[in-house]
Amino acid sequence: MFEREPNIDIVFRNGLKNLEVLPPADVWDSIPMIPVRHTRLRVISGIAAGVAALVSLSLMATWYVRNNNNPVILSEVTTPGDDLQDVQLDIIKASPVTKVSDTRVIRLVAASYPVNPVTEVSPAPVTFDPAAFLASAGTPQQRVVTDEQVTILPDEITVINAGRFAGADESLMATMAEVNTVPAEQRFLVGASMSPSMSFSRSGQSPRLSELINSEKSRPAYSTGVSVGYRISDRLTIQSGIGLASIGQTINDVNVYAGLSDFYAVKSSYLYSVETASGIILAGNTDLYLTDSKDRVNTLIQGNMADPSKYKLTQVGSDIQQVFRYLELPVMLRYKLIDRKFGLNLSGGVAYGLLVDNAAYTGEGSELIRVGHTEGVSTHNFSSQLGLGMEYNISKKITFNFEPLVRYYVTPLSDISGSLYKPYSLGFWSGFSFKF
Amino acid sequence: MAKDKDIIDGCLSGSRRDQELLYRRYSPKLYAVCLQYAGNTEEARDVLQEGFIKIFENLSRFSHEGSFEGWMRRIIVNTALERYRNRYYLNRVDDIDEVTEPESAPDTDDFAGLEAFDLLNMIMELPPKYRMVFNLYAIEGYSHKEIGEMLGVSEGTSKSNLSRARDILQKKVVILTGVTRRMVNV
Repeated sequence: MFEREPNIDIVFRNGLKNLEVLPPADVWDSIPMIPVRHTRLRVISGIAAGVAALVSLSLMATWYVRNNNNPVILSEVTTPGDDLQDVQLDIIKASPVTKVSDTRVIRLVAASYPVNPVTEVSPAPVTFDPAAFLASAGTPQQRVVTDEQVTILPDEITVINAGRFAGADESLMATMAEVNTVPAEQRFLVGASMSPSMSFSRSGQSPRLSELINSEKSRPAYSTGVSVGYRISDRLTIQSGIGLASIGQTINDVNVYAGLSDFYAVKSSYLYSVETASGIILAGNTDLYLTDSKDRVNTLIQGNMADPSKYKLTQVGSDIQQVFRYLELPVMLRYKLIDRKFGLNLSGGVAYGLLVDNAAYTGEGSELIRVGHTEGVSTHNFSSQLGLGMEYNISKKITFNFEPLVRYYVTPLSDISGSLYKPYSLGFWSGFSFKF
Repeated sequence: MAKDKDIIDGCLSGSRRDQELLYRRYSPKLYAVCLQYAGNTEEARDVLQEGFIKIFENLSRFSHEGSFEGWMRRIIVNTALERYRNRYYLNRVDDIDEVTEPESAPDTDDFAGLEAFDLLNMIMELPPKYRMVFNLYAIEGYSHKEIGEMLGVSEGTSKSNLSRARDILQKKVVILTGVTRRMVNV
């Protein structure tokens, strides 16, 4: 790449390397405020967050509509004091039309019911007794503040404009219906989950791939996200959502030194490359010098111009960590094997992954140095997963899940010709879900 | 002293203060690059301004791989090249072969580090086409083929321009330092 060059070139290159000249003072004033441009990852994340918010809002709206359509102002009730009050009745509980098969007839007989003083709040009747209910419907402002008990007989109650209750012929006995108090079916669920896992690779597809895999070690992987589900039947639920999955591996025994740019003028976007099972790492950080003993590191530098023994280079790492992050859209079917407080599920499905981050680092802890990125990694992938999950119903609406699962990448993670890198992972899915 | 990454994040979130911080930190080095390519202070000033606008506009594309200063330098060099192409190549005034004097040279008093300034001054005094080829080949490390594509000239022209530039510079260095041709030549 670099020819042997005349000394005059080196005199100027080195002489001008650290030259600084203060620019005219007014240059900064002529640079306008520049609006921010977002990266692709930020745009995708923004879209994903927007979609998730819309889905959540839609589900909340559905839930609200399903649970708030019931109460209606049914009628006006004339109380003994001849004053009129709106009485709010729950049509589901009161209407015999709603669920005929579950109704039973209540026959009212004449009886007296005490009315609480104004200062006290009337407790809701434990059992649905129409007379008690109407008596407690309350017209506090009209009642006399007194400890004296008021007796209301059923024939003193006139229900106006409430077809199913109005019946002059049944003056002593009102026919009412009580629907079993079974809650509305909870068909939807939303949840948040976290799924740590460990990836493994199958070797043997090619000798070189096996060799590469043997010199690599999987890093702990995870996926996290929000899920929405719909209960198709009592036992079968379909689930989807959006999440972020991170997988990666450590490339062992690659020595990385920093400080090369002080000695070497760089024109290309990378100087070193490292062959790995999941693609080729291009070291875009041209300040780094890379070397290994397993013939995985290649360089564009010819000769020994970047021999670290010639310069003062500091070793900053002895391995490289590859990290891939995917935006995931899973579709899962979940079948309930045992449906009790402690339940057991069998789940299976597929997930589509869109590569949103691809990076390679060296170093440890907070001293991570970005080396570059991996070429040849598929932007899209499909994975399948199978799990056997336990669930604990904390309440009727909230469930805690714990589910060991196996995931296998159906499409290869890398598209390097001749190597099909398809890792699999073992982990567990854990999270809470809310049913409504 | 704030880290580059923090300043970049600040710029990306729209902070004018961080943009100014970034400018104050790197403009002296980048202005030297502008002078190296532009040949005079007026042109260098425009390259610096235009270059920094591009840097701020494209900051989100910086992947934190490699040197940030190197990334900015490439933008400045490309800006200088673009202006050169518009001025000299598209206007077809590039084929003048004789050595021309620079439009104006910076005042020595404006600069610190005389030795480096001497070198800078020598480059600035080169005719534009020699200056461009010498900078791209000797300082940035591009090949003649790449330089030919950048400047719209043949590989041979790039080579001969480089050779001419080296001759001029060698003479100037010998005059300035008294170092013999043998010491600075191949």
